[in-house]
Amino acid sequence: MSQLQETQQTWRSGFRLPAIILMAAFVLFAPAFVGSYSLHAVVIAMIFLLPALGLNLLVGYTGLLSLAQGAFFGVGAYASALLSIHFNTPFYINVVSAGLISGALALPLGIPALRLRATSFVMCTLGFIVIGQAISKNWISLTRGDMGLSSVPKPYFALGPWSFSVVSTAAYYYLALAVASLAILAFYLIVRSPAGRNMIAIRENETLAEAVGIPTWTYKLIVFVLSAVFAGVGGSLYVHYLTVVSPLTFQMYYTTTILIIVLGGGVGTISGVVFGSILFVALSEVLRVAPEIRMIAYGICLLLIVFKFPKGFAPVIDKVWLALGGQRA
Amino acid sequence: MTLSGMFKGFPLKAAALCALALTGGFISQAQAQDGDIRLGIVSPNTGSNARYGSFALRGAQLAVEEINSAGGINGKKIKIFSGDSQCTPVEGVSATQRLIQEDKVGFIIGDICSSVTLAMQPIVENAKVLLVNAASSNPAITYKAGVGGFKWTYRNYPTDEVRSLVVLDYATKQKNFTKFAVLSVDSDYGRGAINFTKKYLERFKSEIISEDYYKDGEVDFRSVLAKIKNSGAQAIIMYGLADTTPIIARQMVETGLAGKIPLIGNGEFNAPATIKAAPTALNGAIEAAAWLPGWDTPRSKEFVKKFEAAYKGETPNNHAYSHWETVHLIAATMKAANSTDGEKVRDAMAKIKFDSAVGPITFDDHNQALVPMILLEIEGGAPSIKGAFVGSIDYPKN
Amino acid sequence: MLNLLGEQLLNGIVTGSVYAIVAVGMTMTFGVLRVINFAHGEYFMVGTFASWFVIEKIDLGYPQSVVFAVALTALLAIVVGYFLMRKMVGAPFENGVLATLGVSLILQNLAVALFGGSYKFFNGGYIEPVELFGYGLAQQRILIVIVCVLVFIGLDLMVTYSRMGKSMRAVSQNIECCEIVGIDVQSVVLWTFVIGASLAGLSGVLTAPVNVSVYGGMGELITFKTLPIIIMGGLGNVRGTFIAAMILGIAESFVAGFIGLQFRDSVGFVTLSLMLMWRPHGLFSLQSRF
Repeated sequence: MSQLQETQQTWRSGFRLPAIILMAAFVLFAPAFVGSYSLHAVVIAMIFLLPALGLNLLVGYTGLLSLAQGAFFGVGAYASALLSIHFNTPFYINVVSAGLISGALALPLGIPALRLRATSFVMCTLGFIVIGQAISKNWISLTRGDMGLSSVPKPYFALGPWSFSVVSTAAYYYLALAVASLAILAFYLIVRSPAGRNMIAIRENETLAEAVGIPTWTYKLIVFVLSAVFAGVGGSLYVHYLTVVSPLTFQMYYTTTILIIVLGGGVGTISGVVFGSILFVALSEVLRVAPEIRMIAYGICLLLIVFKFPKGFAPVIDKVWLALGGQRA
Repeated sequence: MTLSGMFKGFPLKAAALCALALTGGFISQAQAQDGDIRLGIVSPNTGSNARYGSFALRGAQLAVEEINSAGGINGKKIKIFSGDSQCTPVEGVSATQRLIQEDKVGFIIGDICSSVTLAMQPIVENAKVLLVNAASSNPAITYKAGVGGFKWTYRNYPTDEVRSLVVLDYATKQKNFTKFAVLSVDSDYGRGAINFTKKYLERFKSEIISEDYYKDGEVDFRSVLAKIKNSGAQAIIMYGLADTTPIIARQMVETGLAGKIPLIGNGEFNAPATIKAAPTALNGAIEAAAWLPGWDTPRSKEFVKKFEAAYKGETPNNHAYSHWETVHLIAATMKAANSTDGEKVRDAMAKIKFDSAVGPITFDDHNQALVPMILLEIEGGAPSIKGAFVGSIDYPKN
Repeated sequence: MLNLLGEQLLNGIVTGSVYAIVAVGMTMTFGVLRVINFAHGEYFMVGTFASWFVIEKIDLGYPQSVVFAVALTALLAIVVGYFLMRKMVGAPFENGVLATLGVSLILQNLAVALFGGSYKFFNGGYIEPVELFGYGLAQQRILIVIVCVLVFIGLDLMVTYSRMGKSMRAVSQNIECCEIVGIDVQSVVLWTFVIGASLAGLSGVLTAPVNVSVYGGMGELITFKTLPIIIMGGLGNVRGTFIAAMILGIAESFVAGFIGLQFRDSVGFVTLSLMLMWRPHGLFSLQSRF
């Protein structure tokens, strides 16, 4: 390395740690600097991040394209809403139950669905959304049908003598940050584990994976259930923020959004999905004045992803990052 | 890649992106002058309910123009900021947040879709912004307003409770119908109105023999109309969408129901275009509307004339009217309170007596306006007004 | 009661005919491309819009508008087919899903951006009712059924006897062999796609008089209805699709007529899900190919 390069290297590494601390501080103390509206946008991004992580697990690590994330997102939302409305349960019970209920539902659905080949599997998962919407519309005694469930209580925590409610946007920002961070950590642990490596093997070459003894079908089922858990947790976060849930939650709009986040962001990477959620939120807020343009932009994004950026836009970010002198992570 | 290796780049990148998003740089709408009164209008401007949103927004804009050209309120002009809810709670909430935080509105009129309004209520309550709803039908909005909890929500639109009562009363007493088939839209509006209707069935000694709900965008009614034809129902109770009524009317003609079984309820039966689509089917239709273009008071006729002049001859619908009237209501309340401060206006609205185009309006303790419901019957191809009724609401005890 | 049963059966056949014309296009596209065209409903919408536009703005008569609508849809299909669909040959299945979803979003929202989001009223067509077996039917519906039968006979003949049809069958079986034998796969794919999309457009303009409402988002519902049909009929199987479409039309009619209109849309996907779980290879194919 030349003298100049060495100096540059040292300068950059010396620069890096303070930069990380500054950024982390900014994210942690954001409510002090930015308004409710921007915080709201980031909360929405983090809510969508959760089902996106689930889909990322499915598509990115086992190669299964599923359109059912929207269905489990809706199930989680309804589950959480019903629990808190009828039993007044604290948030940590709601969010965990929402995840577990979605996961539990995914199990009997996944078993027959995963026997199908790619095309039929996609159709089957699409069917889950349609059926989910029909159930939420018609099981009126439980879901109140189209009237929806409103006045869902804000999340509250009761730990011993201590209890507090999360009401303001800033407080919700921290709650969402906490849940999202835990989810990202969980995701990371899953994919770094030996099980995760098996999943990658399945994605790369399923036949070969089976040949070396990986029980592919079992793994696919587990991943399907796990992705439903992520989606359910996202649904719980969503319903406590909006305080309203209705059959509209099962619209294709949510599934399309989650698809764009995962595929646009970068399948199979964590930062890609985070980037995808921020991209989605930024697009939707900047293009707020013309929603058709936004949906056309989504359509163009999908086409770009298919033809130009099959790995999502994350590699572009990587290039910019490297050019700015960051280290290859 | 080791644990530390993985985390080297990722959190930095993610945090950088997060920071980017947080610092905003979002484009906000046109700057208003200081001292202007900022009014937000949340409505579905795109999506399948775009038609209603466009009428609502234009009605409000017309009223604002009228007020501003007359000198504004205590010298201040009103500035409208529009937010698109797409009839989805998430979007509606985002639009509301943006209006409050970025555009700094102090007053909001919205939404048309009840689910959106319900989601907006806690937000305006927290931000202490006055929300006056002018089009939603879900009773829960009112149950939770005023003494029900949300002090910053008012509703200037009749409830479906009164609507369904008025319709059923007329159908059973004046027309002697006792057997009804239900064909309403599958939404909180359609289902809610039928729920209320069921409450009153016993009082009027009538029954519902079949119950069907159609989705937004449904085009094939032949099967259900065949069923109704066979069932012995004397009238079809329809609380539905303005755009679907002509389709159903046409298919009633097709299947031979036109002229035999009338439509009763609400679905813009009185709109000239709808009647023209299938006159034989619409004849004898009974509708309870908050307002219709044919309403014969000077103020109402003036509104129709001005709207048509401003918007290329297009006749306003009842959402255009209700939003127009609500802007005038807010303006009148500001004058009565002699202030544009949100809290003072809110308190003044509870006590106001406003002369609207359909009669005097006052609010009950749930911040619900007591507005008359107009009952009309289509006779000879045109709506004929039979009366206007004011009803009271049975609030659930809890 | 028998009267009512007969009427619902007739309703089912009429509905099924519409589904059949739309579905056959999607299944043919799948046959040669292995792509499920999520934008298929949008060609239906384009056909309807085109016809509405010329009737409203240029005062053309209905039959002329049909010709115009099908021509415009075909033109659009040529453009999309040339630049997008041909590239899907041999690509992984996910690409097709995403690309056609993208096209669907663009077309839907272009229509809304250009013409506004509100529902338009379709004037035109033969809506006068006539009596058939004692049931009232708009003339247009009889026209639809006749066209459906003609289309299917025509397609069947084409696929069995014509050169194009034989090439289509060959491409749907084994693309590599086709290239060896000298069949221009790209061309076959393009024209199959164009025929399919044009049929969807034709279906749109034929049903517009009785459906009355025209709006940008109408295609999405059509796509959703068609997906179960092509899977149940067997992907790429023209005759199977016809039968599946009729069965769905009749089933929906009975559900709407005897159980409730609000359950009508669930019939398709519930049946599909059940079928996929127990008989994944479709009702008519012998073995599971997809």
